[in-house]
Amino acid sequence: MTLPFFLDCLLQTAVAFAATVAFALIFHAPKAQYIPAGLTGAFGWLIYTVFMHFLPNAAFASFFAALGLTYLARVFAFYRRCPVTVFLISGIFPIVPGAGIYYTGYHFFMNSNGAGAEMGLETIKIAIAIALGIGIVVSLPRGFFTRRPKFEGRDVK
Amino acid sequence: MDPKETEPMPKGAAALSFRMGELLLRSGAEIFRVQETMERVARAYGVTEFNAYVLSNAIFAAAVENGVRSETKLKFVPGTVTHFGRIAALNQLSREIAAGMVPEAEAFRRAEEAARIPYTDGKLLILACAVGSACFSFLFGGSLLDAAAALLCGAVLQVFLNVVDRRSASKFITNLAASALVALAAVALYALGLGNSLDKIIIGSIIRLVPGVALTTSIRDFLNGDYLSGTIRMIDAFLVGGCIAVGVGAVVMLYYNFAGGVLPI
Repeated sequence: MTLPFFLDCLLQTAVAFAATVAFALIFHAPKAQYIPAGLTGAFGWLIYTVFMHFLPNAAFASFFAALGLTYLARVFAFYRRCPVTVFLISGIFPIVPGAGIYYTGYHFFMNSNGAGAEMGLETIKIAIAIALGIGIVVSLPRGFFTRRPKFEGRDVK
Repeated sequence: MDPKETEPMPKGAAALSFRMGELLLRSGAEIFRVQETMERVARAYGVTEFNAYVLSNAIFAAAVENGVRSETKLKFVPGTVTHFGRIAALNQLSREIAAGMVPEAEAFRRAEEAARIPYTDGKLLILACAVGSACFSFLFGGSLLDAAAALLCGAVLQVFLNVVDRRSASKFITNLAASALVALAAVALYALGLGNSLDKIIIGSIIRLVPGVALTTSIRDFLNGDYLSGTIRMIDAFLVGGCIAVGVGAVVMLYYNFAGGVLPI
């Protein structure tokens, strides 16, 4: 709270890195991919926090975070010859609206239906924003992610 | 790896493609990746006609090999456990197959090898879940004390999941029980004075269970035109999310009824 903004960002990014590595581990990722997966998650969270600082709109921030981290995930996928899923799913873990789903159910359970409905809509919005961001970057041609010439029989997706 | 391993008899490229698709789906790969891999493998071995329809919980495929042998398969894949290691290994194999470097029998053997890549060690999982929970508690605005409490709750959660996994109980019961257990642990720590916000402790430690990725994947399925898979996943995400909310909500409600105070809504 008392930290200046950029220090706070730095700290949060570091924590997001650790969180992503932890979940890459839980999803049984190959050991060699822990660090790039963590970097992907940290990058996404960095974009998210910076965006939220200047324009507090979770769906927008999630969309741009998804764009950035999917880009990074595809770069890693190419250079580490590993399916993009490994970096992508670990990396979106911090921004994905898991908490939103839980709060939606929680509010309904506690009988505050209005809050539940609101939270539910927000959750869906964020999920759509992230899916759109991922979809856009995933459909870009391979040339965007490397300066190397194409290799035969090699697919980045 | 072990040459003495009893290899499955080579059953043809269609069977190989099918097996790889099934393994990918089981390991939690995306629908379009499963479909793409199956088609790529079939094409590489010269299966003349190959059609596959992949759902989030089933595969249907038909193939005509060498103009004579035809094969139709249908497989129900009820549960998936995300395993990136297996997806990566199968993906590598499919690339090599597409490049024409792998004979069929060897491809079969390597697919089975990929299916046997072990899970991460249970103790390491406990550590990872604990650290992950603490990190998320902090990221969602919890204090350091909250994070410390979430660390313990996360460890408790993974210990529970490790025990339950072996008996493969129903998914809904597992989620209900696991979330209630986490809430119980969080309430106990909170009552003992560890942590400033019960909500932040719980949300951090519950993040392991919550279907955020499933919901996002469901919408990605919709965008890819896999409407049925997207629907299945979305309903699944809502049900799992509901179970977790009920599990946590019941414990929190009981606690506040018992201990007094204002229910945090």
